Amino acid sequence: MQNLQARSNIYALLSRILIQELDTEMLQTIKDDETILDFLPNLKNWEALNILENSVLLEEHLNPDFINISILHLIPYETFYVRDDQMIETGGANPVTDTYSAYNFMVDFAEARVVSTDHIGVELEFMHHLCEAQIKAEEDNDAEAAYELKTVQKDFLNKHLLQWAPMYLLNVKYESRTPLYADTADMAIEFLLSDNEYLSSGTSLE
Amino acid sequence: MYLESRRSFMKGAAFTVAGVAIAKGVFTADAIAESVSESKFTNTPDSLSFYPPLEQWDDFKELDGDDWKRGGIDRKGVRSEENPDGIEVNDYTIVPTACSNCEASCGLTAWIDKKTFTVKKYMGNPLHPGSRGRNCAKGYATQSQMYDPDRLAFPIKRAPGSARGEGKWIRTTWDEAMTTIGKKMGDTLREGDELSKKSVMFHVGRPNENGFTGKVWHTLGSDAFNSHTNICSAGGRTSTIQWANDDRSSPDWANAKLVFLNSSHAADAGHYFQQSASFIADARKKGAKLVVMDPRMSNSAGMADLWIAAWPGTEAAIYLYLTNRILQEGRVDKNFVRRWMNWEVMMKNEKYLNFMVEKGYISKVPQKRDFESFIAMITELYSSYTLEYTVKETHVPAHKLEQLYDMFIWAGDSISSYFWRAAAAGNRGGWMSGRAGYLPIALRGSIGTVGGTFFHHWHVISVAGKGGSSTVGQGKRGSDIPKVDVWNELAWPPEWPLSTYEMSFLLPHLLTDTQWQEKWIKRGLNVPQKLAVWIPRMYNPVWINPDGFRWLEVLKDEKKMELTFNLSPTWSETNWHVDYVLPVGLAGERHDQHSEATRPARWTSFRQPVMRVALEKAGWRPNNPNRATLEAHIKAGLGEVWEENEFWFDMCVNYIDSDGSLGVKKMWESKRHPGKPVTIAEWYDAAFGDNLPNLYKTATSDSRYKNSEYPVYEYMRDHGAWMEENNIYSAQERGVKFDGRNLVSHGHKYPKHDLSMDSDTGVIYAKDHHNGWKYKDDKKPVAIEVDGKMMEGFATLDKKLDFFSEWFAQEWKWPEYAIPFYPRTDEEKKRMPHIVSHVNHSYMKEENSYALNTVFRLPYNIHTRSGNSKHLMEISQNHDPVWISTKDAQRQNFKRGDAIRVRIVDSVSGLESGYFVAMAIPTEGILPGTLACSHHGGRWKLKNAISIPNGVSDGKVNGTIAPRDMNDKDFMNESPRNVGQEGAQIKIEDYDGISGNNSFGIPTAEIQMDGKEGKFTYIEGLKPFHSKRFAEYNKDSDNIWWDGLSGSWQNAVAATHPDPISGMHCWHQKVILEPAQKGDKIGDIQVNYDNNFKVYQAWRDELTRPLDGDSEFRRPPHIKRPWVPLSEKAYRVDIRD
Repeated sequence: MQNLQARSNIYALLSRILIQELDTEMLQTIKDDETILDFLPNLKNWEALNILENSVLLEEHLNPDFINISILHLIPYETFYVRDDQMIETGGANPVTDTYSAYNFMVDFAEARVVSTDHIGVELEFMHHLCEAQIKAEEDNDAEAAYELKTVQKDFLNKHLLQWAPMYLLNVKYESRTPLYADTADMAIEFLLSDNEYLSSGTSLE
Repeated sequence: MYLESRRSFMKGAAFTVAGVAIAKGVFTADAIAESVSESKFTNTPDSLSFYPPLEQWDDFKELDGDDWKRGGIDRKGVRSEENPDGIEVNDYTIVPTACSNCEASCGLTAWIDKKTFTVKKYMGNPLHPGSRGRNCAKGYATQSQMYDPDRLAFPIKRAPGSARGEGKWIRTTWDEAMTTIGKKMGDTLREGDELSKKSVMFHVGRPNENGFTGKVWHTLGSDAFNSHTNICSAGGRTSTIQWANDDRSSPDWANAKLVFLNSSHAADAGHYFQQSASFIADARKKGAKLVVMDPRMSNSAGMADLWIAAWPGTEAAIYLYLTNRILQEGRVDKNFVRRWMNWEVMMKNEKYLNFMVEKGYISKVPQKRDFESFIAMITELYSSYTLEYTVKETHVPAHKLEQLYDMFIWAGDSISSYFWRAAAAGNRGGWMSGRAGYLPIALRGSIGTVGGTFFHHWHVISVAGKGGSSTVGQGKRGSDIPKVDVWNELAWPPEWPLSTYEMSFLLPHLLTDTQWQEKWIKRGLNVPQKLAVWIPRMYNPVWINPDGFRWLEVLKDEKKMELTFNLSPTWSETNWHVDYVLPVGLAGERHDQHSEATRPARWTSFRQPVMRVALEKAGWRPNNPNRATLEAHIKAGLGEVWEENEFWFDMCVNYIDSDGSLGVKKMWESKRHPGKPVTIAEWYDAAFGDNLPNLYKTATSDSRYKNSEYPVYEYMRDHGAWMEENNIYSAQERGVKFDGRNLVSHGHKYPKHDLSMDSDTGVIYAKDHHNGWKYKDDKKPVAIEVDGKMMEGFATLDKKLDFFSEWFAQEWKWPEYAIPFYPRTDEEKKRMPHIVSHVNHSYMKEENSYALNTVFRLPYNIHTRSGNSKHLMEISQNHDPVWISTKDAQRQNFKRGDAIRVRIVDSVSGLESGYFVAMAIPTEGILPGTLACSHHGGRWKLKNAISIPNGVSDGKVNGTIAPRDMNDKDFMNESPRNVGQEGAQIKIEDYDGISGNNSFGIPTAEIQMDGKEGKFTYIEGLKPFHSKRFAEYNKDSDNIWWDGLSGSWQNAVAATHPDPISGMHCWHQKVILEPAQKGDKIGDIQVNYDNNFKVYQAWRDELTRPLDGDSEFRRPPHIKRPWVPLSEKAYRVDIRD
């Protein structure tokens, strides 16, 4: 159960950082949480983090960098990486949408501010929800559902995130100008690979 | 590096804030997701389809395309009680009908929103065998016509005390109009003499139905039917009549190897654009070649494999060049030609063979009369049409002609063509282009084959007038209606006995020309000198006929036309000048059986008033079953808009002959409900059921219909289309049955003792006991024996394709043109003006004279009906300039957009008609020396708004009380009472007493005319406006950016050019171009219509060969007179010399 909660939290954190600019509240949450900061070592040691006000940090450093790695220079959408023509599939033909629909998930585009359902932040959040659903199933002692949900996670990770997210994240690592996004990219790659091993072998995250 | 990393993520469990609070939460609430999962809607359907299956048409839910723009169901879900912000779901009932915006009759479906009882959209009908669910821009425009803010909301009449054309109108009732008109018609017919039967005239534009209105005039005993055909397709039909005694070609585009178009028709616009275009696309996908012959690079020509730009009117020379090479190079399909061309008749006619020698067509009469001698003879006959000759005459480069020939031969017997407007409608003698055009096709055996060219009557269904068994008096299929006993010289003047249809475009000239009237009266004919009633039907001759000012003169003359009314839903130039305008409906507002030959099959569509059908299918019943369409349209908020079928049923029974003394009443009286007019369901159940056996069998054995009162009608009501028979090829080879006692052909039985056979030609004749007068020795040709087999053959007198038209040569005085021919020398041209175009290059003697090609359609225009279609008008602005070749433009120093004067000059009389001012567009897409400017431009109006008091604005009668909602029981139960009657007028809820006049499409003009000369100029363009009628639909009426000028009204300058043989108005013009002068504006015209009258006289007197003392008949009796059958008495003529 602890594994599961950890995975759920990490998927949530990564998805939140990669889906939109941080707001002051989220930035403060990160700054206040030593555990999170341990996952992001360069950020933790970044002098500016403790000197500058949150609003300045966001407006002058972090948010411009987010725009840099998710809108201006890099494309955080699966179809861009997996299709030969590098077109983002924004319509109903996106297979990721089908997967969400199959489990009654539907993207609120207004909230997400993405053009397509296969944005890295959305895919990561989907994994987070699957973990949460598995937690509920285990709390309800529904082993069958829990097993199925774990299988779905493994499938989604393999069919989607692992097919392209590492490439995107490597690009983020080298393109980013702040330790937040460089560290997040590093952490995310490591985590996805490790999570795949975990889901495949059934071992602990330790 | 990453794979080696073993960072522990277990610590993730120790976040101070749980992941649930960290995550952005980009997935929607359950209610939205559930609203989608619980609905039938999905973004990822298994398949895509425009149309639901027929079973769902009565009740079909579909997401609203407009509301979808808020974000689609991905973001908003589907609207439901739990999810009120979801995407709107439309609750439709889908009713099939047929388009009426050209002649093709493509299928339509009206998607009626039950919640508001409005048509939200028109789509195609997937069950329609010709259009296959597709439509062109004009089809979808049906909706904008339906909710046209300026459409007439009730019957109107000229205000008492005002003159015609003054523009003063009052509202009236249907009953008042029908009483006044019915009395005038009844009184006229009751006079009972010959003239009375010629004094009412019905003048139809696009008929778009197969025989209903003809039947009305048949039962009235009047020779009253006047078609627009001779400004349209008379020249195209003449060639088919001569070859096959049929009306028109019927190509099998979809299977052709060579699609040979002689114009932009078929693939750009016109007959039968959209259906033809899609069949042609099918063929090209399979590897077919497309050739387009047209001096103008039309859209079709632009995408063709070969564009042939021939000088207008010289096309016949190209066909004869192909003929020459086919014969010289031994490429004739001898088996077909021997079996199906009338070579025996020709070789038997010694007199004609000698005539050909005398005329220099051949050097000597063949010694033998066998088939090979025939081939040898015509090989010599056509040997003059060499490459060199053809290049010189047509201005087409040699390499293109050679390429054309190669394609022609490559295609074998799969050559599809269609002879219709263009060359045949533009040029004097244009009919000869089709006459010559069929020849190489027939020589290659490509008649009736898969992918070949065939004839109309095998591929069409005409039953609209054959519902007689539902009436008291008509008899089954109208068998008890007496034939019309008179011949109307105003429709068929003695100068044009071979005209394919009526000479309708000469009506104002014939009514004005007292000299002509008196001449023929003296010679024994009973020529009408005025009309008691003139009834145009959805027709606008003032604008679209040549010599528009002459029309205006006659329309305004109450002595020439005593009472006039137009059955028309919209304002038009003609309506402005009549006494009554009675609004009948558009494509989704009327009943018509309508079929066209668009593929080798017999299909029909069923046009319907969709609002009425939706109501009736949902359980509503009208108060007056004979005015159900009128009641339904009032309920739909369209106003007091009716339909023609019910109007004429009612007129004949209750107004023209209410006491039955004329014998008309019983013809339209219901057999089920004697005393009342027949109903729509009764009439069409009989019309379809009595005449289409396969449909009858299908409908009456279908569990949905077999227990219905009107199973066949209901089947057609629900499907909107039917295919009676498919894959009809080489139908002339259908065997006839002979059991030793009787021969059965075309459903008729002929006893053996009445039969005889011509041993030379194989033609089998039967003695005709009823209509023997039509045939030599009373013997009607009923079949033909070829190679020992008895077959139906073609509809000609000799049952074969008439290469040689014997009747044309002998009794009808045109021997020199009785075979496909084109003058081979300048000398022959002079001797044969009848088949030389009046715009031939030999007539272009003056500096800067050109041949102006006027005969092409603009694909977004629908003649008069499109004048106020919002979206069609927006896309059609400034699309009718004068195309001029860059070389010619450079010589005359014309630049793109320059205003130029186009002076029209007649090459017969030498007289000048006047000029119109138009815009020059230099282009490489036109043959040098020729110009192009479609004659479908230049609509006008004299006033922008007309005050017509509502008449019931105090709100005495409301059309509907319950909200318009088909799910509301009160709405479904109520219906207006006493519709059409005095005191029962409906308050038009969104009409404030001022009617706009074509506010979306037509600018305002000023006219001056003095009986001889006329001037016309536009004074005001369109302006944005606020529409009160159908306000929601027309909410963008404040966004009009165009001024509405759609070209010049060149038809008013054009003199009439009646072809001496086909009767076609030959549209092309010889013109002289000059720069515009100071003060000229594009759209200005000046016309000397006194000169135009002399031009009409010159064409008539110098070119025709009128009936004379030797004439026995008005017209060849074996050629069908369209619409109404006439008796022997009517056909016979006795001219005093």
